[in-house]
Amino acid sequence: MDGAASPFRAPVIALDGPDKVTGAARYTFDVSLPGMLHAKVLRSPHPHARIRSIDTGRAEGLPGVAAVVTGIDAVGLPDPYYGVAIRDQPVVAIDKVRYVGDMVAAVAAVDEEIAYRALALIEVHYDPLPAVTAIDQALAEGAPLLFDTPAAGEPIKLGDGLVSLKEPRPNVLCEFGYTHGDADAVLAASDHVFEDRFHFSRINHFHLEPHVNIARVTGELIELWSCNQDPFVLRSDIARIFGRHANSIRIHASHVGGGFGGKSFCKMEPLVVLLAMKAGRPVRLCLSLDESLLTLTKHAGILILKTGVTRDGRLTARKSEIQLDGGAYSDASALTVVKTGYRITGPYRWYAVATRACAVRTNTVPAGSFRGFGGTQASFASESQIDMIARRLGIDPYDFRCKNLLALGEPFRPGDSGIDSDLAKGLDEVIERLGYRQRVRSSAQGHKARGMGLSIGIKDGGGTGNHAQALVKVLPSGRVIVSAAAVEIGQGATTTLSRIAAETLNLPLDWVRYGAIDTDSTPLDNGTHASCGTVVTGIAVMRAAADARDQVLEFAAERLGCTAAELALDNWTVRRGNYAHPLEPMIAEHFGGAGFEFIGRGMVKVPNDPKAPLTAAALFWMPCWVGAEVEVDRETGKVQVVHLVVGADSGRSVNTIACRGQVEGAALQALGQSLFEELRYEDGKPVNATPLDYRVPLARDLPDQYESFVLEHGGPGPFGAKGIGEAGMLGVASAIANAIEDAVGVRVTQIPFTPERVLAAIEAAP
Amino acid sequence: MTEAIEIAVTINGRAHRLNVAPRRVLADVLREDLQLLGCKIGCDQAVCGACTVLVDEMPVTACTTFAFEVDRKTVITIEGLAEGGGLDPVQRAFLEHGAFQCGFCTPGMILSVKALLARHPEPDEALIRQWLSANICRCTGYQMIVEAVRAAARSGPG
Repeated sequence: MDGAASPFRAPVIALDGPDKVTGAARYTFDVSLPGMLHAKVLRSPHPHARIRSIDTGRAEGLPGVAAVVTGIDAVGLPDPYYGVAIRDQPVVAIDKVRYVGDMVAAVAAVDEEIAYRALALIEVHYDPLPAVTAIDQALAEGAPLLFDTPAAGEPIKLGDGLVSLKEPRPNVLCEFGYTHGDADAVLAASDHVFEDRFHFSRINHFHLEPHVNIARVTGELIELWSCNQDPFVLRSDIARIFGRHANSIRIHASHVGGGFGGKSFCKMEPLVVLLAMKAGRPVRLCLSLDESLLTLTKHAGILILKTGVTRDGRLTARKSEIQLDGGAYSDASALTVVKTGYRITGPYRWYAVATRACAVRTNTVPAGSFRGFGGTQASFASESQIDMIARRLGIDPYDFRCKNLLALGEPFRPGDSGIDSDLAKGLDEVIERLGYRQRVRSSAQGHKARGMGLSIGIKDGGGTGNHAQALVKVLPSGRVIVSAAAVEIGQGATTTLSRIAAETLNLPLDWVRYGAIDTDSTPLDNGTHASCGTVVTGIAVMRAAADARDQVLEFAAERLGCTAAELALDNWTVRRGNYAHPLEPMIAEHFGGAGFEFIGRGMVKVPNDPKAPLTAAALFWMPCWVGAEVEVDRETGKVQVVHLVVGADSGRSVNTIACRGQVEGAALQALGQSLFEELRYEDGKPVNATPLDYRVPLARDLPDQYESFVLEHGGPGPFGAKGIGEAGMLGVASAIANAIEDAVGVRVTQIPFTPERVLAAIEAAP
Repeated sequence: MTEAIEIAVTINGRAHRLNVAPRRVLADVLREDLQLLGCKIGCDQAVCGACTVLVDEMPVTACTTFAFEVDRKTVITIEGLAEGGGLDPVQRAFLEHGAFQCGFCTPGMILSVKALLARHPEPDEALIRQWLSANICRCTGYQMIVEAVRAAARSGPG
C-alpha cells in the first residue's frame, strides 16, 4: 500500500505527551488512598525447600504492623492458585518454596520502614531440598520434583492433529507437538541435513515503574489500582481466587511505567487483596526493582533444529526439539511454548515439518510474557541456522533466504493465513541501507575484523482469536471520550486509538480524550498483549466511532427533515449540500438541560477456525528485517555493532512517531540481550538480580549508526494498520550472530555474545 | 527516632522551611510532603536516574540524597521547569521528537539534559550519548532522545 495519501502521514504530538514531559502524568505508582498501609514481602533465600514452620508472632507484635499473611491464609481461599491455563502458583507459598525470591509471607504496616522491620522478625524454618536450576538438571533421571501433585487447569486448546499436553513427564509443565508431512522421510531424501543447537538466555523486562498495586476492600467490593497490563484478565483471576462474582471486583488502571509483558497476567495482586482484607484498610505493595527482577523473566531455552536442504539450496524439511526454561511456576509458559514451537519454521516454504516443544520446570524465577513471546527464541535459532546452512553450501545468505521465502499471500503453514508483508522487499531495503552489496569481505584491520549479517524474524500478531469492545461517547460540544481497555504502557495506545476515533468522526484529534480505565465502566478488552492494540482494540474503537457518527447523522436528519444519507459530518457540523448546520445548538435546542451524549458501541471477535492449527488463523504477520555490521576484536572477543538497520511493517502507520519508537525500542532491548544482558544463576541462586548488576542498554551502547524503517504493506486494522510493537525484538540477535561469522568465520550459538564466548569460539576454530 | 532537622530550601523558585527526619531522602520529601509526583523512583539506588532533580543546577538522584543535604540550596524538579506556563525548550523538543514512551524516565531524563545543555550548549553526538547514559530508558532505544537533545541544543536557551 502506498502510504503517501494517508491522512496519518503527518506526525502528531502524543496526546499524553504534555503530561509526560511536565511530570503531570499519573501512574499507579502515584496513587495514594486515605488510610493506606504499605506492604513488603518476605522472599525465599532457598532455591527449593519445604517450609517446616513460620512464626509471625514477633512481627505481628511490632507497633505499626496491621497484618501478616502467610500460606495458612492462602490455603483458606476458594482457589489459591493462578497461572495461564495451568494454575500452579500459590498466592503466597503454601508448603514449599521453589525459587530464590519465592513469596513466603507479607506484612502490611503504617509505613514501608516498619514493614521491612517486621519482615526481619518473621521466623521461617526451612528443610532445604535439592534444586534444579537448569533444563538438563530438571530432566535428568531421578531429578528432584518441583511438584508432587498435578496442578489445576487444562492444556492449551489447539487444532486437530496438534499435540498439547499438560504435565506429561516429571518436571515438564506442558508439551506442544506439530507435524505436517513426513519430516523423517523428506530429511532422508534431502541432499544435506544439518543439525544445530542453540541456547537462548534469560532476561528481565526491567520496566522502570516497579510492580505496584493498591487494594481496598469495602463490604463486598474488592478494588485494585494496578499497573497490570490486563485489567479484565486480572478481574477474572481475582474473582476466581476469592470466590466472588466479577461484578464485585473493580480494577482501575493508570499510565503504566513500562511493561513489555512483565506486568501481564495475575502475579502478586491477590496477595495485596489478601493483606487488605486481613488489615481492614487499603494496602499498597510497591515492589523494589530488585524484586521485579525476581518476579518474571523471558524464557531461556535450548533449541535443536534439524534441517534438510537440496544441493541447489532449497529447504525441504525441519525437525525441531525445543525446551524452554519455564522457571518455578506456570505463568504464561503454556502459551509461550505453543507460540515458540509454531513459529520455529520461520518465513520459509517446507515440504514437511515436525516440531516438539516443552516448558521445563526449574527452581528459577518464573518465565512468562516478554515482547516477542516465543517468537524471539524461535527467530534466533531459525535465522541463525538458515545463515549457517547458506554459508556451508557456499550460497550468499541473502540469496539463500530469497530462494526460500514465503511469497505474499502464501500461508505461513497450511490452514493459516497468508503472509501479508512483502518479505523480499523488506530485506532489499535492509541490504540497501546496510551497503551489503558493496561490502568488502574480511576487511581485517589488524586484529579487528568486520562482517555483515542479515535476518528476518517473524511472528503472528494480534493474539489468537482475539476480541475487544469499545465505547465512543460524543458530547454536545463534539468533544469525544474513547473508552477502551488497551492500557497506555508507552506504546501510544492513547494517541493511536484517539486518532482512529477522530478520523472516523471527522473531528480534530485534540478534541478526543482517551478515558480512564475502570472495569466497572470501560468495555472489556482481552489484555494489552501481542501487539493487538491498534488492530483489535482499534477495530472496536473504529466501529464504536462509526456507530456514534451514524447516531449523530440520524439525529440531525430527523431535526432537518431529511434522510441521513443526505448528510455528512464535518468538524461538528452536518453538511447538507451547500448548507452547514452546527450541531451544538441543534442538540441544545432539542434536549435542553445538560444536553446529550451520542454513545457508540463497537466490538470485534477474530473468527475461530477449526482448520487453523492454533484454532484461529493469524490476524496478521509481524516481520522484522535486520541487517547488522559488526567489528570483532580477535584478541579480546569483543563484538561492537557499528551499524544496525531494523525494519518492520505497520500495515499503514496511524501514528508514525510511535511506530518508529516501537521498532527502535524493541531492537535496542534485543541488542542488549544479544551482547551482554542476562539474568545469571550460579549454585542455584541468581547472581546479578539487582539493578546495578543486571546491566541494560544505555545510550552509550547505541550502535554508531542506528537506523530503522517502517514499510506499509497493508493490514486488517483500521485504515489498513497492523501491529508493530514486538517486531523489533525478533531478528536482532541472529543478525548479529550472522555478522560475527561473516567477520571472523566462527559461529556463536549461545546468547549473549560475550567476549568470553566469542573468544572461545575463535580459539576453538581450526 | 532522631529529631527532625529544620531546613531552608528553595524548590522550583519557592522558599520552603521543612522539618525532615535525618534518614529521609529528598525523593520522599518531594513526593510525600510536597506532592511533586513528577519525581519518579525506579531502582531506588541511584542506578536508573528516574528520580534525577537539579540541586544548585547539578543533576542528583533524589532517591539517594538525604533531604537535609539540600539545606540552603536550590532544587528544580520537572514541575519547576516550565516557566510562565510555557514549556522549556528541552520539554518542547522531547514532545515534538517523540522522545518518550511510557514516560516514567522522562522527568529525570529531561532534567539531566537541562544540566547537560547548561554546561555544553553545543554537545556532539558522543557527549550526548555519554551524558544520557546516566539515565536508563527501557522504551525508546534512545535514538529519538538523542535527536531531541540535538534539537533543544539548536533552539538555544529559549
